[in-house]
Formats: sequence, structure tokens, C-alpha cells
Amino acid sequence: MSLFSRFTNRKTDLDDEIRAHLEMDIQARKDRGASSEQARTEATREFGNVALIQDVTRETWGWVWLERLVQDLQYSLRQLNKSPAFAITLIATLALGLGATAAMFTVVDHVLLRPLPYKDSGQLVEIKESGKRGTVSFGTPYLDIQQWRQRSHSLKEIAFYSSDKHISFLDGNTASTQVNAPQISANLFALLGVHPAIGREFEGRSDGSALTEEEHSLILSDPVWRTTYGSDPNVLGKVVKLNGESYVVVGIMPRGFTFPFNGAMPLVWLPRLIRDKDTVRTRNVTPSYQVVARLNPDATLPTAESELKAIQPEVAKEYADPYDRDLVTSVQLQRYDDSLVDSDLRKSLLALFGASGVLWLIACVNSTSLMLARAAARQREIAVRGALGASRWRIIQQLTVEGLLVSAIASALGLGLTMLMLKLFEHGLTTQFHIHEKMTANLSVIGLLVALTVVSASLCSIWPAFVAAKAPIETALRQGGPQSSSGVAQYRTRASLVVIQIAASLILLVGCGLLLRTIYALRHAPLGFRTDHIIIANMTIPSYKFAGQNMTTELYQPLVDRVNHMPGVQAASLMNAVPLGNTFKMQFTFGVTGNSAADVRRRDLVAQFRAVGPEMQRVFGFRMLKGRFFNGEDTASTQPVAVVNRAFVKAYFGGDEASEKILGENLFSFSKDKRAVVIGVIDDERQVSVAKQSQPEIEVAIPQITPGTGFYKGAEGMGMDLAIRTDRSSASIIPELRELLRQSSPELANSTFTTMDQVVEDSYGSQQLAARLLIVFGGSALLVCITGIYGLLAYLVAHRTKELGLRIALGAQRADVMWLVLRQASWMLIAGSTLGLLLAFMSSLLLRTFLYNVTPHDPWTMGAVTLLLVGGGLAASSIPARRAARVDPMEALRTE
Amino acid sequence: MIGRNRYKNRIELLQGTLDMLILKTLQWGPQHGYGIVQALHATSGEVLQVETGSLYPALHRLERQAWVRSEWKQTESNQRAKYYRITAAGKKQLASDLSRWQHMVEVIGAVMHRVPDGEEA
Repeated sequence: MSLFSRFTNRKTDLDDEIRAHLEMDIQARKDRGASSEQARTEATREFGNVALIQDVTRETWGWVWLERLVQDLQYSLRQLNKSPAFAITLIATLALGLGATAAMFTVVDHVLLRPLPYKDSGQLVEIKESGKRGTVSFGTPYLDIQQWRQRSHSLKEIAFYSSDKHISFLDGNTASTQVNAPQISANLFALLGVHPAIGREFEGRSDGSALTEEEHSLILSDPVWRTTYGSDPNVLGKVVKLNGESYVVVGIMPRGFTFPFNGAMPLVWLPRLIRDKDTVRTRNVTPSYQVVARLNPDATLPTAESELKAIQPEVAKEYADPYDRDLVTSVQLQRYDDSLVDSDLRKSLLALFGASGVLWLIACVNSTSLMLARAAARQREIAVRGALGASRWRIIQQLTVEGLLVSAIASALGLGLTMLMLKLFEHGLTTQFHIHEKMTANLSVIGLLVALTVVSASLCSIWPAFVAAKAPIETALRQGGPQSSSGVAQYRTRASLVVIQIAASLILLVGCGLLLRTIYALRHAPLGFRTDHIIIANMTIPSYKFAGQNMTTELYQPLVDRVNHMPGVQAASLMNAVPLGNTFKMQFTFGVTGNSAADVRRRDLVAQFRAVGPEMQRVFGFRMLKGRFFNGEDTASTQPVAVVNRAFVKAYFGGDEASEKILGENLFSFSKDKRAVVIGVIDDERQVSVAKQSQPEIEVAIPQITPGTGFYKGAEGMGMDLAIRTDRSSASIIPELRELLRQSSPELANSTFTTMDQVVEDSYGSQQLAARLLIVFGGSALLVCITGIYGLLAYLVAHRTKELGLRIALGAQRADVMWLVLRQASWMLIAGSTLGLLLAFMSSLLLRTFLYNVTPHDPWTMGAVTLLLVGGGLAASSIPARRAARVDPMEALRTE
Repeated sequence: MIGRNRYKNRIELLQGTLDMLILKTLQWGPQHGYGIVQALHATSGEVLQVETGSLYPALHRLERQAWVRSEWKQTESNQRAKYYRITAAGKKQLASDLSRWQHMVEVIGAVMHRVPDGEEA
């Protein structure tokens, strides 16, 4: 028997008991000679208030709260049903605020809050050297790591890995899979506190490096084991081929394990052996590693950092060259989980989360205002209930239950909204914040939603409930209508709430305006090249298949020739990475050794390095400033040539020298006996992102590259983009292209295709995402805010109908009456905007990292947004104002 | 609101005593609510008029404490009524209530009958 039906049984039981009591009393009175009628009346009178007695008696059972809750819920539902417009506004407002906050929290949770799946991940730190040119991001040489290992006392263990991100091909049972294969020190997994689910780890020496016998060992990640080897445990001990080389599988890591943490590719791990190159500190020769260390239990990040900072000068002394020494004079420590999210991204994410929080606050304030209005409208009803014996607590409880019910419905809708928002913004969110798993509202999100619901309910119902319950019963009962003096105080309260809403909305709208200006500025930034009608194929090159061959003549030249002969193709060219593509990056530094001013300047110069086809200019149409671009006559047998950009000339000469001065400059060694000569200067173009100024760049011609060229492997063996200028639609040309690539080499069929317009669009990514989110948040805030103003003024007009009628009857002009209402609106709008602008002045600084070509305090944006809000507010208030002006004095005076 | 408080105050004032009186009445045999009112009225020389508003909450409270047990039975006049019967625990409670009450009467009596010495002299 359920609790509830037991309860109902006892209730009828008590009814019967009381009826029996009355019957016996009546019988006794009749026996004494009273008439039937008289006996009943007297007995009933003597018994007292049956309902109240039942109530008090039931209270002793201890579960009245349940009954009351059911009553309150039923009553609340009836109330909401009675005024659907009110209910819908309230629920929609709250759902919007709750949904937006929960959606943003889901992202924050994924990116910032989730602990890494390593043991005590808070103790893991990333160590990088730093110096004159800032943090050295490409890594630390083995010798320096060994120095830290020997001298430091705060580090329990140091592990390292090569962060080389290029893609390898792992041959499976049927096809080959593209994987990342980082080389790790043997102690890395032990340091992370994770061990293989099957098999063993790499065996290593005390310095962390792997034993020589391990050279051909390999550990699989769980996803690779499942997809490539069908979860076959017998793969352990078998020989597999990675980039054509044989390795023995020695272990399989547990499900969910990944390292480095923020990669998107499937992983396998290779052991890192220490070789001769590791025993020297020579630039462009010595390999560098990323370093992860575990702190000793008694060490903290600051103590470890200060210890290593004290050690580092000693380490730097080991560098023979003073220039190189200056680059590594200090170190930087960061928690490993913090290192995964860069601080700009973290700030921008928190700013967006904050924005959603502001929207939630606006929603709560608006709901409070609505509930206050409602409590005022129900003042009489509440007074009657008080007079009938409801205690103050009972009334508060009832109104709170109503608030909870509304919030609960709103949060259910809000959860739906959360899902919808995550779906709509999925592409932007996952690419911007590097989330590689499906985002759904998980338990912590639902927990937050429940917490917010309770807080919303408390904010929007407890205060109005107290106000309502405190109101004196007699006055409310005595007065005819809702026109009471307490209305004035209540109006003021609600007006302040509207002012808060206006101010908060303005914050969001200013942010939204600034980002829209940024997007506009980005769209109109000169890129330095054409983006229309270009299709890009991003290829991963299976270079191991071409070992011993010349890829330029075996793979690339035939491929480009065939694409150029496809119908509808105007020009096609290969290049390492298209501008803004950020798929593959090569950096060029001079091998200068001197320490004169000019030498140091050249050593400071870091240039983007690209191998491109001679047709590239026809595809992208960028401008030549001086000299010529590559052409068909630049071949492997002719003089090696290079093209640089204007930014390079500037950095090379250290000033605004004439561009032609660099023509003919003998720049760098191309192969053993040949050096490259500059033949042309191209105008600056954006390489990394639209918002970033051009960086120095060197380009070389692909047809000139041979296996004897120093940078052959880097330039041709890893990643290559194919850019095609065509009038055909991408849908019609891509299948043909894919087939053509497959014929060149089967692995190339896996290339990803996009358009240059899309690449540019994606490079706006973070701004675009922030702008869209803020449009949603700001737009909702504006809407809620305008509803709030309208609601309050409509209330004001309804409240003062009699007074307005009287004024008109006494000769007030309709315009005066209208002005009377609009004046209230103006007052709130001015106060709200002033406060809002002040707050926006501070909050827009948080958006700084997003902005491009617009200052956080851009007066035009601030002005335009304020105008929009004030305009919207006045438009909304003109409706009740006109209603006020149309008040018929006779009608109004008769309403009494 | 006002009505509720009146009942509550009365119950608080009489709580211990009313419980004791009810238990005492039930010692003579099982009885229903109306019967208890009548019995108390009669045995108190028609002075005590227990209000139903106090009686029923008290009965239900005693039942919750397992000092009384209830069952539906026919009265002599063939009326179905809920009879309350005192339990062993109830009898124990009654004994302790009684001794506490007697103690209190003695103490209060001693205070009330004491001749003030200082003032009269």
C-alpha cells in the first residue's frame, strides 16, 4: 500500500470517528428529550470546527507536509492555469536563463573543471625553459632535463616525450589507420599513474629513457586496439607495421587513457631512446622534448618553480653560445591541466559563462518582478486565506511551492534548451575549445541546474511571499480593489528591479555590439589574396611508401598535372599549408653563429617556411611587389630560387629598406652545394589568422626540391594542401578529386576537403562563436527587459486607471497623460542605461582578447546599443502610455 | 490563524495533564472519544469539559506513542465507534505521570502555603 493511499485511509478513518462522536452525542441529547433538529445543532456547536480539529489531529501523524505539498501543488497548477500569459512569460524567462547558463556550464565543465584521468593530476606540472625571446615552446634538450633530475628536490619524477604532431600510418588487418605516434620516455606512464590494461610498459633506464632493446616496441591505445585490431588480445607480441617499419606490440592501455591529452587523433606510443644527438646542445641538431613532472608530496608549484629558477642559470651556463644561452635563462612551471587550455581561451570561456550568468540573473530579476505583481494582484485572496486561519508560514510556504513549481517546469524546458544550444553551437564550441567528445548535460550539469532552480525559485518567490504574508489583513480586506497605498512602495521596488534588468541587459548588448563590430572588421580586413572559388584538399602524405624515390617527380608533379587537366579547373597548386589553414607549419631560422647586431637580428628572425607550386599565384592571386614568382622554368636542374614577403624584408634588414634590395640575396643553403637566391617579393598576406599581422615568410618551389634537398622530408613528407581554382561546385568536383587522389596513392583518399571561404570563416572561429552566443544572450536579455518595462507600465496604468480618469475628467490633455507614463519609462531607462554603461565599461575589458580593430570602450558601440535599448524600451512603454491616454473618464470613475 | 492558536495554547497548557486524564479514564476499560468526554465530565463532578479540539489530537498522539491502541467496535446502542484501549506501556506512563504530578502538586503546594516571614514582621 502506498504512502498516499494509507494517508487517505487514515483520513476517512478520522472522518468516521468524528461522525461517530457526533452521532452518539446527538443520540444522547435526543434521549434526554431534545428534538432531532435541536440535538444536531447543539452537538455540532459543542463539537467545534470539524475541519480545524481534523487538521490539528492529522498534524500529530507527522506527515501533513505531504498533504500540504500536494494541496499546494494542485493549487499552484490551478493558479498558473488561470493566467496562462503570466505563466508562459515567467516560465519562458526562467527557462532561457537556466538553459543558457547550463549550456555554458557544460562547456566550462568539459574544458576547465573535469579532472584529468591521471592519478593525482594536480601534482603534474609542465616545465618549459624561457629567456630573452619568451617561453621556448618547441621543447627542452635531454641534457637540461637530466640537470633538473639531478639537482631538483621538489620533483619526484620527470618524464618527457616528443611532441611531433605528424601523422603516421598504422597497418591493420585490412586497411591502414592514421595515428599519432608520440615517442615517450619509459617512465611516463608510471609517472601518470596509469598502467597498461594488457601487457607491459616500456622498460627504461634510471634517466627515464627506454632501453635499446625496446627500439621496436609499441604500445596501443584502447581505441586503436578496438578499431584496427578488433579487440583481439592476441595482438600482444605480434609484429605490426607503422610507416612501413616493424614494431612488436608490448602493451595496450586502458580504455579512456590518452596522452598528450588534447589530441584528436587515435594514438599509439613508441619508446624514446637517447642517441648521440641528445648528448650535445647544438641548435637545429639536438632534439627537444616536452617535459611533464610529478611534484613531491611536500612540494608546491611555487616552491618547485623557485627551486628550478635557481637551478636554471647553472644549466644555461652549459650552453657555449651566448645567444643560445640567453634563450634559456629561466624556466616556467604550469600545472599540466592548466597547460592544456591557454589563458586567452580560459578567459574568453569564463567571459561567455559570465554572460550566461548575467542572462540568468536578468531572468531571475524579471521573475521576481512578475511574482511581486502577482502577489499584489492576489493580496485580497491572501488576506482572505489569512482571515480563515492560514498562518503566515503557511502562506509563504504556498507561494514558495508555486515558485518551485514554476522553476522546475522552467528548468525542464531549460534542459531542452541546453541540449538545443549545444547542438546548434556544436561545431564552434568543439573546434574552439578543443573538445573531442560528445557534449551532453551530465550529472554535474544537472546538479548545477537543480541548484540554480532552487536559487531562482527562492529569489523569485520568497521575497514576494514575505511581502504578501506581511501585508496587514484588515486593510486588504477593507479596501475594494487592488488600489492601495502599499502599491506605491511595491511599484518602486519593481521599478528598481526593472532598472537592474536594463543595466544587466546593457552589459550583454555592449559585448554583443563589440563582437559584431569585430566580425565586421575581420570580414573587411585585407587578406592579401583571393578566397573565392578555391577548393582545398588537406592531404596526409604516406611518405614511407616513397622511400628511396623522389616524391616531387613520382607523386606531386603527376598529381598536379592531372588535376590541372580536370575539366573546369583553372589552376591547381600544391603548397605546404594554405594561408589561415593552420594544418601544418614549418619554421625557418637562420643558421648564423655570429653575435654582431646584424647576426643577432637574423638569428631572431623566425620565418614561416612554405614549399609551393609555381601555379600558386594563379590560384590565390596575391600581388607581387618586386621581381617574379616561380614559373615553369624553375626546375631541379636550374638555380634554386626563393620568394619572400614584405614582412621578411623588413625583419631581415631591420627597417623599411627598399624591397628590391633583397633580390639576388643569397639566403640559405638549398642542398649540399647549392644556395637559394631571392627572386621576388610578395605583398603581405595573413597566414595564421585574419586578426594577426603578417609574419615573415619564405617560399620555395616544389619542382626544385629533390631528396638531396636539406628540407626535403619536412617540406614534402608530411602534410600538403592542394588548392584548386575552379568554377565548379564543390559537390560536383570533390568525388572526382578524391578518386584522382586515390589513384595517386590509396591513403590520399582520406584527405579532407574544404573551401577557402570556409577556411577564412573558420579562422574567425572564436569571435564568430562569441558573437553568436552573445547575440543569443543579448537578444534574450533585450526581450526580457522590454517585457519587464512593458509589464510594469501596464501594471502602473491598470493600477492608476481611476486617477488617470480623474485627471482627464478634470481637463488634463491626453498628451499630458501619455507623457505621465512615458516619464516613468524614461526615468527607468535613463537610470538603467547609466548604471549599465558604467558596468559595461568594466565588463567589456574581459572581452579584450576577442576584439579586433575596436577598443573595449568603443563609443559608437556603446551609443548605438544604448539607443537600441532605450528605443525598444520606449516603444514598449508607448503601448500602455496610449492605453492611459485613451482612458474613458466615465468608465474609470465607475470602476469603483 | 487566530482560531488555530487558541487550540494550540490550550493543548500546550493541558498537555501532560490531559494525557494523564485520558490514560486514567481508559484504565477502567476501553472507551471511545465521546465516552471519554462523558466519563471525564461525570467523574470530575461535571466540572471538566474536555474540548474535542484537544481530545482527538491527544488520542492520536497517545496512539503514536503506543500508549493506547484503537479498534472499531459496536457500541451497546449498535453505533460503530473507535475504541481506545490502554497498553502496558501506557500503564507504565500513567504511573510515572501520576507520581510526577503528585510531586508537582506537593512542591507547588509547599510554595503556595508558605508563610512569608520577612514582610509580615
